[in-house]
Amino acid sequence: MSAATHKPAASTTHGLSPVRIVSIYPTLLGTYGDGGNVAALSHIAGLHGVPVDILTISPGMLIPDDADIYVMGGGEDTAQVAAANALRASGALNRAVDNGASVLAICAGYQLLGHEFPDADGNASPGLGLLDVFTDRLPKRAVGELAAAPIAAGIETLTEMLTGYENHGGATHLGAGVTPLALVASGVGNGDGTEGAITGRVIGTYLHGPCLVRNPRLAERLLGWAVGRDLDPIVEEAVEELRRERLGNAAGTPRV
Amino acid sequence: MNTSLRTQIAVTAGRLAAATSRTLGRGEGMVVGGKVTLRLAPLALADLAGTRVAALVSATNGKTSTTRLLATAASQAGPVATQSTGANMTEGVLWALANGPTGAPAILEVDEAYLPRVLAATKPKVVLLANLSRDQLDRMSEVAMLARKWRRMLEQNPDVVVVANADDPIVAYAAEKAPHVIWVAAGQAWTADSSVCPECGTLLGRDGTDWSCSGCGRARPKTSWQFEWEKTGIAVGPDGQRYDLSGLQLPGRFNASNATMALAVCAELGLDLEKAVTLMNTVTSVSGRFATVDAGSLRIRLLLAKNPAGWSELLDIMPPAPAPVIIIINSNDADGRDPSWLWDVPFERLRGRTVIASGNRRRDLAVRLLHAGVDARVIEDPFAADADLPAGTRDLPVVDCAATYTAFQKLRDPSNEEMAL
Repeated sequence: MSAATHKPAASTTHGLSPVRIVSIYPTLLGTYGDGGNVAALSHIAGLHGVPVDILTISPGMLIPDDADIYVMGGGEDTAQVAAANALRASGALNRAVDNGASVLAICAGYQLLGHEFPDADGNASPGLGLLDVFTDRLPKRAVGELAAAPIAAGIETLTEMLTGYENHGGATHLGAGVTPLALVASGVGNGDGTEGAITGRVIGTYLHGPCLVRNPRLAERLLGWAVGRDLDPIVEEAVEELRRERLGNAAGTPRV
Repeated sequence: MNTSLRTQIAVTAGRLAAATSRTLGRGEGMVVGGKVTLRLAPLALADLAGTRVAALVSATNGKTSTTRLLATAASQAGPVATQSTGANMTEGVLWALANGPTGAPAILEVDEAYLPRVLAATKPKVVLLANLSRDQLDRMSEVAMLARKWRRMLEQNPDVVVVANADDPIVAYAAEKAPHVIWVAAGQAWTADSSVCPECGTLLGRDGTDWSCSGCGRARPKTSWQFEWEKTGIAVGPDGQRYDLSGLQLPGRFNASNATMALAVCAELGLDLEKAVTLMNTVTSVSGRFATVDAGSLRIRLLLAKNPAGWSELLDIMPPAPAPVIIIINSNDADGRDPSWLWDVPFERLRGRTVIASGNRRRDLAVRLLHAGVDARVIEDPFAADADLPAGTRDLPVVDCAATYTAFQKLRDPSNEEMAL
């Protein structure tokens, strides 16, 4: 069933250097199948004829600050604090963002990009400050399907409904320095009707699923930034069927 | 039996409720029966348990098989009360105690989240803790949180003898403070959910099955039971005595490992270990696991596959490519609502064959297989007479069918005429 409806990918126009993708601490931040995001970037880049170079970082390894895309997943409280501490000590992710890299961080990864997030005991733990957000606790854990409509102020080229699965206890509060990624159509998201946050090319979201598997347009946005041009969407029927099923009648809802 | 009158009445009422439920075709009625009993007599579990609970078995994977192996081994001393199905929450445990052989020693499997309250009520002599990994994250606590609950449980119940898998750092963390621990080197095929120390969050150092934490000094405990595997298994007791497990009919390394842990429990219960092995060899399938059954136009071997750790074991026992396999992924309550764990299963290992993708999350599976480079055919009901199966599938004597819990239950239920999912 490799029945991808291939639009002819504009062959390999990216030249010689592959897009460098860094998977940050999947052993700490990969509880909910988020490894699928890196797999999706690789798969979708392949459809577009874009070569990729994937580097998986374990705690203790040096994080490069000159890669194109950094991906972080969700994780348990203890692992989240460990990851945040290691990233703060390294400083590499902050330097990479200054260098123009993009970041996609899911759930616990999203929270630790902010100013602070709750640890296992509910105490505030410091994050990286790459997103102007802070996270405390929701009154009730958010578990279930999450659908959200992207907003133009977030990522202008992203118009298709976002779909994923959320499983978190965090309420994330957005400051003036960020824009929500989307508005919640069903589910909880940040907890105030918005979902995710973005500033520049740094994206945080509560969408597991995995996120880029269910939302290939977002993967194409990240890859497009890396190659310096917008990629024409390549639609794979198996993915569209999954999206239709998950979004139900919400699919095709126009952008808010 | 010294059960109170109240408990006796409550059990009778529970049986009635269960019978009604069966009559109405709503399943075996255990859960309903157990619920009614507990409502009428909240202390029924402790009352029915008395002092006869020999062992409780808990783990993320393998608890039903391990319980069956252990209960069969323990039957050398007479009848045993145990679950006949995998019903392992409070109601299922209660039902096994209320309806098993009167007064018989009990060997029971318990859901990992329910273990603390069941253990407190039933006061077993031994508790077997085999492994903890990710499963049904929408329902279960995250793994480290569950381990902390087990740890607190053992602090509050210091009399229980703990038989624990030292190779699983999360289990070791849960059991390490208990006064009586028998450590078994039972192996750990799936390490992804125990990469960091559950206490301090430091990445664990690993060397083979050995592990240690450079952050807080925690390390793999010294084991008194060992498990060796090379095509078949050998259990080695504390005295160096070797027990050949090559006669086990349950397949795979993980079942031999389960048998080793069961044997360690048998030793604590004072049972004859050679007899225990002989009896464990008689177990052929457990509540439908590994059983060969007819399903519509096909004959299938049923495999229960509900999380990445379980899958990593099952991929080893599937026949080699190009044999097609059926995979059924559901996301009903009992399966876990979120099948994103599919992305942690190394399905790439199924390349070279066609996977028949089914279940209410067949589309998630199809996309996962697409990314894995595995040929998939999405079929809503692969057991229908007119299902568009890959050529030659119907000619195979048996096809492996791996299914999540609710799909598995549906297939194993012989009274179910309709194979619709």
